Amino acid sequence: MTTHRLLLVPCIVALGLLGIACSIEQALPPPSCLGGGSELIVAQSVPTATLVPCLGPLPDGWEVASVRVDQNGSVVRLDSDRAGTDAARLVFDRQCDITDAVQVPSDQSGVPAYEAIGRIQPGFLGARTYTFDGGCVRWEFDFDHNVSATLAIDLQTRLTLVLRSEINRSIRENFIDEEL
Amino acid sequence: MTDLAAEGRSVHGRRRRPSGEPPPLPYELNRVAIAWLVAFVGFAAVWAWIVFSDEPAIWITERDLELAGPIVDNRRDWLTPTMQRINRLGTSWVTPIIGWCIIIGGLAARRIRHVLLLIAALAVVAALSTVVSMEMARPRPLGVTQIGEWEGFAQPSRPVALMTTALVAGGLTLTPLGRWRRIWAFAAAVILVVFGLAQVYVGVDHPSDVLSAATSGVAITLLLYRLAAPESVFPIAYWTGKTAHLDVTGTRGEAIRLGLREQLGIVAIDIRPVGLEGSAGSTPLRISQQDGPDIFAKLYARSHLRSDRSYKLGRTLLYGRLEDEQHFTSVRRLVQHEDYMLHVMCRAGIGCTEPLGLVEITPEREYLLVTEFLTGAKEISEMEVTVELIDAGLAEVARLWEVGLAHRDIKPANVMVQDGKLRLIDVAFAQVRPSPWRQAVDLANMMLVLALGSSPQMVYDRALLQFSEDEIAEAFAASRGVTLPSQLRAQVRRDGRALLDQFRSLAPHRKPVAIQRWSLRRVGLTVWVALIVASLLSIFLDNLSDIGLL
Repeated sequence: MTTHRLLLVPCIVALGLLGIACSIEQALPPPSCLGGGSELIVAQSVPTATLVPCLGPLPDGWEVASVRVDQNGSVVRLDSDRAGTDAARLVFDRQCDITDAVQVPSDQSGVPAYEAIGRIQPGFLGARTYTFDGGCVRWEFDFDHNVSATLAIDLQTRLTLVLRSEINRSIRENFIDEEL
Repeated sequence: MTDLAAEGRSVHGRRRRPSGEPPPLPYELNRVAIAWLVAFVGFAAVWAWIVFSDEPAIWITERDLELAGPIVDNRRDWLTPTMQRINRLGTSWVTPIIGWCIIIGGLAARRIRHVLLLIAALAVVAALSTVVSMEMARPRPLGVTQIGEWEGFAQPSRPVALMTTALVAGGLTLTPLGRWRRIWAFAAAVILVVFGLAQVYVGVDHPSDVLSAATSGVAITLLLYRLAAPESVFPIAYWTGKTAHLDVTGTRGEAIRLGLREQLGIVAIDIRPVGLEGSAGSTPLRISQQDGPDIFAKLYARSHLRSDRSYKLGRTLLYGRLEDEQHFTSVRRLVQHEDYMLHVMCRAGIGCTEPLGLVEITPEREYLLVTEFLTGAKEISEMEVTVELIDAGLAEVARLWEVGLAHRDIKPANVMVQDGKLRLIDVAFAQVRPSPWRQAVDLANMMLVLALGSSPQMVYDRALLQFSEDEIAEAFAASRGVTLPSQLRAQVRRDGRALLDQFRSLAPHRKPVAIQRWSLRRVGLTVWVALIVASLLSIFLDNLSDIGLL
């Protein structure tokens, strides 16, 4: 085997392995408020819900770790460079448990919000739930030690609840005469 | 011009293949594989189009909903639970069960290549599904209530693609070509049609999601198997001996006859495998001619080339570059080498078989090495080893030493006796100007072969007539389990007389010759192979669920 083949073969194999390793996993984009992403299948994951969550651009230091969307609902996991891996989760479901939560002023107009705080220090642990007809959206936070809860407030502002009827209107106008 | 000359045929029956004429056995991908590949390319083109324009997506979705509408609109209470169960089983249980059954069955049948191809096919199909679904971002059928299990985007249907891959790979790994393969294909088609219908019925897939997924699964799996484990070279057969042996009936049999007639002027009336149990590196054949005595031929294909490559890579990893471990780069070069070594051996007066020529069956893929057939010859292990045979065997080694050659594969199956004369066959591993270590190993192996049918003392005493005590001591210092060809090793073990130890005690003491050779190349190669294996294993284990095996 010549020297250049000796170098070429490992490079091709390494690239191939990298390519396969990166793409085998089912990676979904998060539901985006800017259109595209997984917004439609997220809406389909809770067909009873009148509102559907979407995320705007994330604050600095946050990134989407994984998105799972299936017939039981949707879960977006987020990592933070300060709050740690899997520090926040956005869950879209048919029902949410709010028995231990207290109602708080809501940042989503007309949608009641409930908060349950597990601990403030060390490391914030808590959940914020929005309930509406046919479904609910819940933020779950589990921050590393010594990370302030204010990081969660900034993240929560990136959530928007879109009317299902709005999504259906967009489908009819831009795609085909059907709805979710 | 005579009629023969007009046909391009010589008076000896030989004929030069004119430019443009296909060889005896042309290489073909297989029409079925090509048809699936074309269908897959069609879907790929549509996918590419959809990336740049919404129009085809709208048109396809409308047609999909027209097709799925009557199925979804006519859901029946008595049928729905069954369809939901099929959807649930198909998306969670069936593919892992089929996949692991194929892996276990394939490993039990020692079809490691096929098992690796199954995993590769699942990985490629899974990767393709991921990439395409991300680009398409297709929702589940609109206007339809989903009553089944689903995950992620719709196009292409991932569970259908993985199940198709597993079923097609299962057929190609476990069932022999013919009736059983057809039964498997029919059963697989039924399973896929039922599963596909269930997916549409419960509203989780569009018809085109199912169709594109099934097409991708079939096309990619067939392509991988046809390229890396073609049926003609790696046939699926049970209870028919070693997997290295090729089927010489049917199309290949005809191609061999044609090649023999046109390239060597030999008219073959019967071709049958011979001595398969003693051969693993090629398919040995006995050929009866219309005019003349029987001839012997060894059929070499790419599978043999790959075996040679893996064997030499394994030796390099285990011992370093003990001797020339450069692998052959083509089947042509492999047979050219053996043909050349036969000529060299015969010219040097070694008792070998006379080479009669090479036949090209498929260019660069399959060749036939033709030699005389040793009529009436017997393997030395099938007869009593007399003093004359011991002397003859030792004389062959002495002659090899004298002319600077090594046989490198001296074992009972390669030491034949014809009319009391000893003949060394199968010179595929032979080498010109070998290392002294390799020459010493040839002597030790010949002495062991001879001792199997006689006694170590007798062989040692006769060896002293042709070799010095030091040379015999060196031979057994150089020799150990790994230097013995596997057939010889097995027979020595079965013999139970500890022949190696007995020879060592008869010869003067000598420190064992080290067979480990360390170099930067060996270290680098070992690290590289370990990295590749570890990476592949890690990717496989990390993605068991994503490739449908968990």
